[in-house]
Amino acid sequence: MRLATPLLTFIRVSVYVFLLAPIVIVVLASLNAGNFLTFPPQGLSLRWFWTFLQNDVFIDAIIYSAVLALCATAVSLVIGTMAALYFVRHATREAEVVRVGMLLPLILPEILTAIALLFFFYEIGIGTEHQIALFTGHVLMTLPFVFLNVTTSLQGRDESVELAARTLGASRYTAFRRVTLPLIAPGLATGGIFAFIISFDTFGISFILKGAGSAPLPIQLYDYLRFNFTPEAAAVSTVSILLTLVLVTVSDLVFGRE
Amino acid sequence: MTEVSLLSLVKSYGKSIALKGISLSVGHGEFVSLLGPSGCGKSTTLKCIAGFEDISDGKILFDNTDISRRLPEQRDIGMVFQSYALFPHMTVAQNLAFGLEMRRVPKSEIATRVARAMEMVQLTPYAERFPKALSGGQQQRVALARALVIEPAILLLDEPLANLDAKLRDEMRGFIRDLQKRVGITTIYVTHDQGEAMTMSDRVVVMFDGEIAQAAPPEEVYNHPASERVARFVGNANILDLAVTGKDAAGSDLALPGGGALRVDSPAPWANGRLRVMARPEQIALTDPGAGHLGGEISKRYFSGGHVEYHVDTQCGPLVVLGPTTQTVAEGQTVALAFDPARLWPIPDPKGPAQ
Ligand SMILES: Nc1ncnc2c1ncn2[C@@H]1O[C@H](COP(=O)(O)OP(=O)(O)OP(=O)(O)O)[C@@H](O)[C@H]1O
Ligand SMILES: [Mg+2]
Repeated sequence: MRLATPLLTFIRVSVYVFLLAPIVIVVLASLNAGNFLTFPPQGLSLRWFWTFLQNDVFIDAIIYSAVLALCATAVSLVIGTMAALYFVRHATREAEVVRVGMLLPLILPEILTAIALLFFFYEIGIGTEHQIALFTGHVLMTLPFVFLNVTTSLQGRDESVELAARTLGASRYTAFRRVTLPLIAPGLATGGIFAFIISFDTFGISFILKGAGSAPLPIQLYDYLRFNFTPEAAAVSTVSILLTLVLVTVSDLVFGRE
Repeated sequence: MTEVSLLSLVKSYGKSIALKGISLSVGHGEFVSLLGPSGCGKSTTLKCIAGFEDISDGKILFDNTDISRRLPEQRDIGMVFQSYALFPHMTVAQNLAFGLEMRRVPKSEIATRVARAMEMVQLTPYAERFPKALSGGQQQRVALARALVIEPAILLLDEPLANLDAKLRDEMRGFIRDLQKRVGITTIYVTHDQGEAMTMSDRVVVMFDGEIAQAAPPEEVYNHPASERVARFVGNANILDLAVTGKDAAGSDLALPGGGALRVDSPAPWANGRLRVMARPEQIALTDPGAGHLGGEISKRYFSGGHVEYHVDTQCGPLVVLGPTTQTVAEGQTVALAFDPARLWPIPDPKGPAQ
């Protein structure tokens, strides 16, 4: 056992380096004062953040992504919570089917889900117009996270608590609102934040299902990088990393205790 | 105060039938216990009364009104769960106020009624605590107060003491019983603990396999069980299978192996010409060999504080006898057992009425 300790430490450090190095490099690259996306940076400067803030394409993309993520998260929260409630309260084959269905977008490669949706929406004659396909894709990608988090917060909960509320005179809906909802709130919040981040960051789904006109941030960034190779792209990435970091930290501070 | 009637209540889950036609009437202010082994349908009966489960057939009446189609929130019941089911995100006071808020009781009245209820269960100092910060016994009392503060028509309790330690359980038995008497509320209490059912209830309903085996006052169930299964479930039972040597209008003469004879007040033997009689361990006395009705040998002796339990090998099989601690009989000793004929209970023939 003792012999394994240095090896374990080495593996642990390697994993962290492997995971964090790209993020560190992107952040450093965004502070580059030079004209090209290079590493190590040539002098430090915030000029590319300034450039980015004045670039309507990116600002629009961020707003578009945020709105898309908010809407997808809202829909996911409703559907995912309903599915979680059903799954936790029924020990049936149907409930198992619901669980697998909810987790499928997580199990399947993103690209498969995207292509399947693309075929489907062309088949029913809508195609990628009206952003319905894109929106549906985002809801699907975010559903597993809501489902998993709410399921976790429901499991181990005493189901008779809701029944107790019923005998005390609460309708099904009131019992849910006054008793169940507060109890699963941490799961909802965590699931919601996860969903938002996933939707904000996801690439494959957006790439395949996006229609004409506005595009989510990752797509816009990709388009930009094909023709430009300035640190502005790194600045955009850094902002999006910061946003994610803030959300995760907030959720951890508020709900980490539960 | 409300009268509860169950009329041929049937509850099936798919192919399995949990309740096979339960008929029971619980009077105004009566305390009735449903007693039976695990899986016999006690909780299911309670859930049907509470409205958590749709019934498959039959009727449930509260004061002659059929309520079997009403939603739980329309039935006016107070319920205490085995897990207490307190709202973890509300304080004790908020837990108690919940039912009153649902009934749109004015704020000022809520405050006074909650205060009174907390006093009733001696929890006033804990009003602002969350359930997590209470002991099991205190949580239990909160659950009780929460169920009673709405002044429901009936009170349902599903194994409320099962999660408490033995000493607290004994205390709570008395507490619940006193409270119930004071409030005078019609109560149905589910337990698989026969001692609990005996000490608390006006009437004990013994259930097996989704059916009622006997519904009678505790003494009646204990001394005059309707069947051998009831006899064995409710306390320790010695069952002797004896030959009937004669019978008249007043009773039957029974022969014991070894020459002893007994007479019991039973009009008829079973179809096979024999009679099965029950004697509770404390209804049998240990005497010197030669005296009494039946010889035997002590195989085991257990001292348990208040009395001594003897396991006696006899020609009628192994029997259990409770003796006073003042009497000293050692393991391996030869003894005789004396029965009190007046307290021997001939078990009714399950194949039909003993005529
Ligand atoms: N939701 C359900 N689906 C299928 N069968 C059920 C369901 N609930 C209860 N049963 C069955 O009904 C029967 C009675 O169950 P019930 O919970 O009433 O037993 P109980 O007498 O309360 O037992 P315990 O002392 O263990 O609580 C059992 O055989 C049980 O398996
Ligand atoms: Mg039960």
